[in-house]
Amino acid sequence: MLMAEAGATRKYDPEFTKEVYKMENGHWVKMCMQCGICPTTCTLRGQMDLSPRRIIQLIRSGAKDEVLKSNTMWLCTSCYTCACRCPRGVPMMDVMHDLRRLAEEAGYVNNSSHMSKVYYGDVAKRGRVWEGGLTIKYGLKLGIFNAMKLGLEMQDVVMQMMKHKRLPIFPPPSVKNPANLRKMLDKAAALAKEEG
Amino acid sequence: MKYSFYPGCASEGNAIAYYKTTKAVAEKLGIELKEIEDWNCCGATVTSSVIGEFAAQVLAARNLALAEKQQLDVLATCSSCYAILGLANKKFADSKYKEKANIALKEDGLQYDGSLRVRFILDVLVNDVGVDKIAAAVKKPLNGLKVAGYVGCQSVKALRGEYDDPEYPTALDNIITALGGQPVAFENSNKCCTGSLALTAPEITITAVHPILDGAAKAGADIVVTPCPLCQMNLDAYQARANKQFQANYTLPVLFLSQLMALAMGMDKKQACLEYCIVSPYQKLANWA
Repeated sequence: MLMAEAGATRKYDPEFTKEVYKMENGHWVKMCMQCGICPTTCTLRGQMDLSPRRIIQLIRSGAKDEVLKSNTMWLCTSCYTCACRCPRGVPMMDVMHDLRRLAEEAGYVNNSSHMSKVYYGDVAKRGRVWEGGLTIKYGLKLGIFNAMKLGLEMQDVVMQMMKHKRLPIFPPPSVKNPANLRKMLDKAAALAKEEG
Repeated sequence: MKYSFYPGCASEGNAIAYYKTTKAVAEKLGIELKEIEDWNCCGATVTSSVIGEFAAQVLAARNLALAEKQQLDVLATCSSCYAILGLANKKFADSKYKEKANIALKEDGLQYDGSLRVRFILDVLVNDVGVDKIAAAVKKPLNGLKVAGYVGCQSVKALRGEYDDPEYPTALDNIITALGGQPVAFENSNKCCTGSLALTAPEITITAVHPILDGAAKAGADIVVTPCPLCQMNLDAYQARANKQFQANYTLPVLFLSQLMALAMGMDKKQACLEYCIVSPYQKLANWA
């Protein structure tokens, strides 16, 4: 009954399937044979709202919203365990990385997407990541209320990290010419887009 | 033995103990580490989700291009850096890919021909140095110390079969044995610590580190040892939280392999950087520190 109801209201969008196939690792979606080894090996299947196998199935059926709003790709830790065991050799984490991009473009944001943005911001600005600054910038991105809540929750961990000199207060050196590094990244992104 | 050394961003932050002790241990073993000048972040697993896989790989390959100038294979100490650099490196076997990547690298005045190998610290220790030479460098054997070797995921599972079995890795345990310690097999030793989710979803990390610590404790381990910065941080910094949430009482110091090697090779607690450990290692390691 529930399935039927959900089915009746689900929007199918074949364009979405094509869009995913066009992504850098989209061709792997076609390779999946739905055997289900990935969810059985996945560290965080228990926390995911949709299993990796189900995500692939839904991409093929064009269930855009259901795929993009799920937490699955954001919980993938890139541990590569499923890739080790997949009989078709599908690098599921790479598909997940592509889906993160699609989800973000479609306006789905969460803690992990904020962190990715902040992390990449540091890489593009300095060429290297400063963990101390990353923590602060991530907090700001969450908004003051959420940041304070997280800060209070994580107080003990952060204090211990600081006490043991593991959260540097000053940034390490950046690369010598970050502007050139950015040019390189822009060029690479453009080249990848050209290919389609 | 000479390598282009890629320390990675963690070595300047939470894993500074790994950086310092790796250099100290390498010197004792006659490994020459030439740090890659002007190295950049490998991009980790998050960059491809922001700028796409190809651009992320070009970012990683910038380091390889810099290392190629030194004509020395790349040694990475962080699991994630190793996986990212190693996977990017494999791509350069394809001439079309190489050509395209070099168009982008040229914007930073670089080019990479794909002539290098990317090696993980465990690979170099076991296959280049060899366990016999490691054993010969031991001054204070870890007699009676039960060590849970936690390899983590990415170093063995990303580039499968480079130097160890992805499902049943043995390199780490062989080094522990060479140091005179007793490696213990433990449940959940192949489970993921959740990596960088520790920052964005700490509640999930706490739930994930609990069974790993539980496995190590039940196997009678005195300490946990790992070659991965994120594994070390998650098992160490979140141990108190796991205790609180699961009414457990773990007191498992979590060391980088290089820290344990430093102790076994006769270095003192300062040189072994024990001060950076969050769960106090002094009691369990009283005989060596």
